[in-house]
Amino acid sequence: MTRTIHLSLDINGGRYDLDVEPRVTLLDALREHLALTGTKKGCDQGQCGACTCHVDGKRVLSCLTLAAQVEGRQVTTIEGIAAENGELHPVQAAFVEHDAFQCGYCTPGQIMSAVACIREGHAGSDEEIREYMSGNLCRCGAYNNIVAAVREAAEMA
Amino acid sequence: MTIMEPRKHGDASDGMVGGRQTRFEGNLKVTGGATYALEYPIEGVAHAVLLQSTIPAGRVTSVDTSKAKAAPGVLLILTPDDDLGLMTASDWYGNRPENQPYHPLPREVSFNGQSIVAVIAESREQALEAAKLICVTYAQTPAVASIDDPKAGEGKVMGNLTIGWGDAEAALAAAPIRIEGEYSTPREYHVAMEPHGLTVKWDGDQLTVWEPSQWSHGMARSYSEWFGIPYENVRLISPFIGGGFGSKGAALAYSAVAAFAAKKLGRPVKLAVTRPQNFTSYGGRAATRQKIKLGATEDGVLQAIVHRGASETSTYMDYPEQTGAATPILYKVENFSSQHRVVPVNTVTPGALRGPGKNPSAFGIESAMEELAYKLGMDPLELRLKNYADHDYQSGKPWSTRRLREALTEGAAAFGWSKRSHEPRSMRDGNQLVGWGIGCGTFPVIQAPSEAMIRILGNGRVEVVSGAIDMGQGTYTILAQTVAEVFGIPVDQVEVHLGDSRLPGSAIAGGSMLAGSILGAVHKAATAARDELIGLALSDEKSPLRDTGANTLTFSGGRIAVPRDQGPSLSLPELMAALGRDEIETRRNTLPDGATPQEHHQAWTTMAKVQGPTMGEFSMHSWCAHFAEVRVDEDFGTVRVSRIVSAFDCGRLYNPRLVESQWRGGIIMGIGQALLEEGLVDQRNGRTVNNNMGDYLVPTNADVSDIQVISVGIPDYGASALGGKGVGEVGIVGVAPAIANAVFHATGKRVRDLPITLEKLI
Ligand code: FES
Ligand code: FES
Repeated sequence: MTRTIHLSLDINGGRYDLDVEPRVTLLDALREHLALTGTKKGCDQGQCGACTCHVDGKRVLSCLTLAAQVEGRQVTTIEGIAAENGELHPVQAAFVEHDAFQCGYCTPGQIMSAVACIREGHAGSDEEIREYMSGNLCRCGAYNNIVAAVREAAEMA
Repeated sequence: MTIMEPRKHGDASDGMVGGRQTRFEGNLKVTGGATYALEYPIEGVAHAVLLQSTIPAGRVTSVDTSKAKAAPGVLLILTPDDDLGLMTASDWYGNRPENQPYHPLPREVSFNGQSIVAVIAESREQALEAAKLICVTYAQTPAVASIDDPKAGEGKVMGNLTIGWGDAEAALAAAPIRIEGEYSTPREYHVAMEPHGLTVKWDGDQLTVWEPSQWSHGMARSYSEWFGIPYENVRLISPFIGGGFGSKGAALAYSAVAAFAAKKLGRPVKLAVTRPQNFTSYGGRAATRQKIKLGATEDGVLQAIVHRGASETSTYMDYPEQTGAATPILYKVENFSSQHRVVPVNTVTPGALRGPGKNPSAFGIESAMEELAYKLGMDPLELRLKNYADHDYQSGKPWSTRRLREALTEGAAAFGWSKRSHEPRSMRDGNQLVGWGIGCGTFPVIQAPSEAMIRILGNGRVEVVSGAIDMGQGTYTILAQTVAEVFGIPVDQVEVHLGDSRLPGSAIAGGSMLAGSILGAVHKAATAARDELIGLALSDEKSPLRDTGANTLTFSGGRIAVPRDQGPSLSLPELMAALGRDEIETRRNTLPDGATPQEHHQAWTTMAKVQGPTMGEFSMHSWCAHFAEVRVDEDFGTVRVSRIVSAFDCGRLYNPRLVESQWRGGIIMGIGQALLEEGLVDQRNGRTVNNNMGDYLVPTNADVSDIQVISVGIPDYGASALGGKGVGEVGIVGVAPAIANAVFHATGKRVRDLPITLEKLI
C-alpha cells in the first residue's frame, strides 16, 4: 500500500481535510481530491502559469508546490476571490469587460496573477504589466486585452 | 432581417447580431466555473498514463511489466501483446476500410514518441510510478528523422495539388525581371493551453466520453466504429475546450486506449496526456520547403509564378501541408505553375494547425513579392496594388466579395505607410534598426450543413440547442445574439446548450466554417419557432392578439405586438401563458429538403458534405493585410515586433468584440511563428527535443505590443446566410512574412527560413 498522509488545508477561508500520498501536488489536491477544478493544469512543469494560486497572498505555481507544503498557510484559488454575494472581483469583471480571454483555460491563472501583480505594485504601466504577467501563457493570444483589464483594475484599486 | 451596424458597448443593440455583446459564458470562465473535460467529478475513476516509444522506427520485441504489475495501485497494463479487439474507424470523409483491426498500441513503431504501453492505476501518481518500472525492448530499423535527413529523398508529388495555367516556365524565361527564393518553415505545434485527455465511462454498452472536442459528432462516430456499437450509444460531452487550433477535431489512439481500459476494468478511466506527450500524440504543422520564382515586367507587372513545395508527412499517411494554397489566388497572374510533394519521415502524421496550407504558403509568396519589390525599387504596397487580382485566376470565377484593396489601403493609412523610406537600413531609432513590412493573407470560405433546435419555454426563456462547440471563438455568444434578435429579447433571456454529440449535428469548429454554417441553421430554426408562435397568436382563440386583424406580429424590446398599432402588446411569457403552452420546439437544418436519415448522419459525422470556396458560381474567401514594424538591435540581432496594424475583410462580423480578439490571437500566434516557434528534431533518433512549453517557445505577454485591427468587410450573403466569412484562421496568415519583410527592411538581411532567430541576423 502506498503511504498516505493526513492534511488539513485552509483554502478560500474554508477548512479541507484530505488523505493523500505525500507526493501529491497542491494542484492535484485541488483538482482531483477537493473538486476545486477552477485552477488549471497546462503543463504540470512550472512553465505555463495556468495553475497559479495564492499562498499567504503571494502567487505560486501549484503544480510545483506539494499539498503538504501549504498546511498552516492560507491558500486562495480562483473560486475564492469573488465577493460572498457572488459579485465578481474587480479583476474578474475587467476580464469580462475587456474580453481578456477566449477559451478561458489560462484565465483563472491569469486572474490570480493579475490580482497579485496589482497588489505587488507591478501594474504601474503597460510595460510593467506585460513583464509581470509574462509567467502566464495564453495561447489564444488575449494579451492586449489582459493588459487592458489589469490596467483598468489597477486604476480602480 | 436588418443588419445592425456594430455599435459601441453599452448600446441596447449589443445583444443583436453584429453587436459588441461581452462573452456569453464569461462569468463561468472568470470564476473557475466552466468545466473542462478532465474536471467532471466521476465516482470510482481509475487513472491511465501512457508510455511512449524511444526509438523512431522498428518493432517492440518485448515489454517487461513484471515489476510494474507488482507496484501499488496498479490495475491494468496494456501493451502491444494485448489485442484490444477494435476495428479501424472511418477517415474524415467517412471512408472506412473493411474488417481492418485497429491497434492503438502498435507493435510496429513509426516514430519516436508513439504511445505503446498504457498503465492504469488507482491514482495518477501510482500509474506514473509503475510506468517507470516498465522495460521495453525493441528491434530498431533504419529511420528518417526529418525532411532535412539526407535519406528523406524528394518524396512524392501530390497529383491533386498540381495546379497550372498559361505557360509559366516560358513566361518566366521571357520576363525581364526575375527573382527566386527558397523558403522554409519548421515543425510547429498547437500548444493549446488545455492538454489533451479524456474521461470515459461505460454503462453496459453505452459509452460516455468527456473529451475536449472541436467536433462532438465526428468524434463520437470514431468511438462507435472502434467498438462496434451503434452511434446512438456514444455520448461525447465537450461544452468547454481549452483551445484547439486544429488539434482537437479527431479521437486519437490514446482515446481508444482509455475507452478500452474502462471497458475492461468496468470502471471509469481518466487519461491525461502529459504536456511532453502532447507533442507526439498528434501532429502539429508539418515542416515545409518552397521554391518560388517570379517573373515581372520592368514596371512590376507579374508575368509568371513557378512554385515547387514540399512538406513532411509520416511513413503511414500522406498529409500535405499545402504550400501552394495561397500562391495562386493572391495576385493577378496569367501564367502559373505549382506542385507540392510530401516527404515521408518517421514522425506522427502532421495535422491542421491554424491557417493550414495558406499559412506557410503565404510565407513563401508574400516574402517573394517583397523581394520582387526591392529588386524593382518599387514600394511593396504599390506592387501589390498593381497586381491586384480582379477575379480568381485559378477557378476563373468572380470573387463573391474581395476587399483586399481596401485592406491594403486602409491598413496602410492607419499604419502611416506613406512615411516609409524605401531603402533597407534607412530607418533607425538609437541603436535599433526600424523596419516595416507587409504580408497579405487569405482563407477560403467553407460551409457544411448544420442543425439547431429552438425551444420557447413557458417562462419566456428561449433555448438554443446545438452540438456545435465553443473553444473560445464565441459560439455561445453569437448563437445567443441571433436568437435574441429574432425574438426581440435581451441576450440574458436566452439559454445556449452546446458541445454534446446527443444534440443536433453541426459543422466542425475548424476551417473557420462553424459560425457561418451553424448560424444559418440557428437563424432558420429561430425564425420557424417565431413563425409558429405568430401563427398561434393570431389564430388561437385564447390569444389576446387574435382579433386584431393583423397578419403578422413584431418582436422588439421584449414585447410582441401588432405592427404600427396601439393595441395590446405582450411579453413572451404572457403570450405563452395566454396560449396555455409550456413549450414550443422547432428543429431545422440546412440540408436539402427531404434528406434521408442516412444523409443526416453522414452530414454531421463526416466531411463528405462540406462545400469548398468555388463550388458555387463565385470564389469566396476571407482576406487580410498585415503591416508590421520591427525594431532590431544592431549589436545583438534581437527582434521586437513593436507595432502591427492589420486590416481584414471577413464579411459581416457577428460580434466585433469577439472577432477582434480572434484576429489578435491569430496575429500573436503569427508573431510566435515568425520569431520563436520551432520543433527541434534530434537527427540521430527522430526525437522531438523541445517537447515542453519552456523550450518550445510561444509568445508571452511581454513579446506582444499593441495590435490594431480594422474591419473593411461588407456582408457577403453568398458566403453565408447571415453575411459573414471565416474569421479564426485568416488572422495568422501573412503575419510571418510581414515580419520577415520588416526585418529585411530594417537590416537588409532576408531570412527565408523561420523562425527569425538572432543568430540569423548577426
Ligand atoms: S501547470 Fe503549473 S505552470 Fe503549468
Ligand atoms: S484564453 Fe485560451 S489560453 Fe488564454
